[in-house]
Amino acid sequence: VKLFQPYGLRGRVVLGFGIGMMAVCGAFALTTYFLARDYMVQQRERSVLRAAFSDAGVIRDRMRAGADVQTILHELELDTASAVLVYRDGQWHSSSPDTRPSVVPARLVREVEAGQPAFVRDVVGATPSMVVGIRVPSVSASIYEVRLLAELNSTLRLLGSVLAIGAFSSVGLGAVIGMRLSRTVLQPLDQIAGTAAAISGGELSRRLPDTRDPELATLVGSFNSMVDALQLRIERDARFAADVSHELRSPLTTLVASVGLLKARRDQLPDRSRQAVDLIDAELGRFRRLLDDLIELARSDAGLILEKGSPVLAGDLLRSTLSMSGRATTLLSGDLEVPLRVDKVRMDRAVTNLCDNADRHGGGLVALTVEDRGDEVRILVDDAGGGVPPQDRERIFERFATGRSGRGSSSGTGLGLALVAQTVTAHEGAVWCADRPGGGARFVISIPAAAR
Amino acid sequence: MSMRLLVVEDDDRIRTVLRLALEDEGYDVSEATSAESALDQMQSEPTDMMIVDLMLGEMDGFTCIREVRRHSDLPIVVVSARADTHDIVAGLEAGADDYITKPFEIKEITARLRALRRRAARPAPAAPSEIVLDRSGDVPLVLSTEGGVLRRGEDVVHLTLTEFRLISELAAEAGHVLTRQVLLDRVWAHGFFGDERLVDVHIRRLRTKVEPDPSTPRIIVTVRGLGYRLDLP
Repeated sequence: VKLFQPYGLRGRVVLGFGIGMMAVCGAFALTTYFLARDYMVQQRERSVLRAAFSDAGVIRDRMRAGADVQTILHELELDTASAVLVYRDGQWHSSSPDTRPSVVPARLVREVEAGQPAFVRDVVGATPSMVVGIRVPSVSASIYEVRLLAELNSTLRLLGSVLAIGAFSSVGLGAVIGMRLSRTVLQPLDQIAGTAAAISGGELSRRLPDTRDPELATLVGSFNSMVDALQLRIERDARFAADVSHELRSPLTTLVASVGLLKARRDQLPDRSRQAVDLIDAELGRFRRLLDDLIELARSDAGLILEKGSPVLAGDLLRSTLSMSGRATTLLSGDLEVPLRVDKVRMDRAVTNLCDNADRHGGGLVALTVEDRGDEVRILVDDAGGGVPPQDRERIFERFATGRSGRGSSSGTGLGLALVAQTVTAHEGAVWCADRPGGGARFVISIPAAAR
Repeated sequence: MSMRLLVVEDDDRIRTVLRLALEDEGYDVSEATSAESALDQMQSEPTDMMIVDLMLGEMDGFTCIREVRRHSDLPIVVVSARADTHDIVAGLEAGADDYITKPFEIKEITARLRALRRRAARPAPAAPSEIVLDRSGDVPLVLSTEGGVLRRGEDVVHLTLTEFRLISELAAEAGHVLTRQVLLDRVWAHGFFGDERLVDVHIRRLRTKVEPDPSTPRIIVTVRGLGYRLDLP
């Protein structure tokens, strides 16, 4: 079984059927061949023996009557494959000039001369033959009946080739049957695989269709109930996150507005109170971002619906992103005229998160570049830090990854990059981290180009 | 004279801090804890603007807005704890002019209110003050930018302030496509990341008031992938 492992289940079934069919048909063909051959040879032997005795009888009677040996031989009615030789007084007589005494093996002659009727199968020229020798003491002669078996041989050859062709074509037939059968057997598996892929791709409402096949029904039933449980759980988690976030919004609104009031009167506050207000303000800002990110992630988990409005120019979007987050728009360069069809707000948040990340962990944002690559558009976010070690480049896109590694400073939410990944994936794109030529990290967002 | 602003919000703490902050901004703020009391208050005292929370007690924010819209064109900003597409669009469909999601900063809500208070669009330099939008009916539909009214014959067509500004912007550049982005900027003073659905919902409402057949608009037409255009007869 190990030998066939690399061929896959379908390949193995096909191969198995092919080989199995060949073995069965091969055995059948060989048995048929040998049985048929033995039977035919026996038939021939019997007929040669009969002919030999009857010819011997005729020759004996005629010789007793005093006829000449050669004349007797000429009078015998023989077919083309047969010949009769007579050995008498050290002299050979043949019914046919083509059949020489040399066709009779010396061993046979010895046995017959010793008074024993004998029989031998031999090859005359290229043709197999049978020779039967009988000693007739009453006329002191030995009679040899010779029969060429060319016709038997060609029959056997034909039978052999027919059986061989049958056995070999059975391999093909076996493969075809195997293929059909494996398709039928594997079809439910394909269906399960397709459904599982669709479910993991986010189509949580997909189920396997009911089946009447009792063996499959168990599988379909447990598969579907597994997905039901999964869906329930995902929905419950998403609802819980949404509920929690929602409940947090009201107190947060009061807090944000109240701090706003205090900030408006910041000048009237004593120095220590002012510091406290600034701290509350900063932490509240972080708390708010964290909540926004959480809500956004919870919504993505429940199936993100993008608000793709009219197409925007990459330059317009990214310039706004930079200026809204208080950064210099001179950092932006590249193919700024390329149109993007994206959820503006979410893509802005994703790029802002990457810029924040560059400022927080990467020694500052040094460039934001747009690359038009035909069927995809890339947004490159470069920083001046020490880069990200290769083993961390995937992990940093997980939730709270920065917090765990201790890399994060107090201002990060730990959700920023996870949110970037989720947003970009929802846009059917990809995001990854690479080295920036000349040092530092380069985060790359790649999204499919808008139809032009 | 300061603007009278009615805050309809059932969360006491949010309502209080909104009052404090908006009073700082110079508004004359009155409070209502339910939709019912808000409607009562509006009958007894004149109100210039409203902030309405969508999640209220017995009567929800959507119903409250629809009730108000039956007899008033005042600017309404919806406050929602849910940023769900469905809620926001429903609030706008009910008649709100703009929305903001919790948690918000006071300066965000005052910016929205300021934008809504601007009475009319800047008239285009050479634009006539009276524009005939439709001649197909028995009586013409005339937009008077200076008078701030839209008339069908002698009858005034009731438009909210936002709807009026929207149609004025389109009429001022009649025959030209205005993108959603431009309209968001000019009518709502939203920046680049404004919600284009604001424009779409308001255009839809505007059409029900001006188009002879809103399902096949002739006056305000959609230019696919670009924006909207007002066509003069």
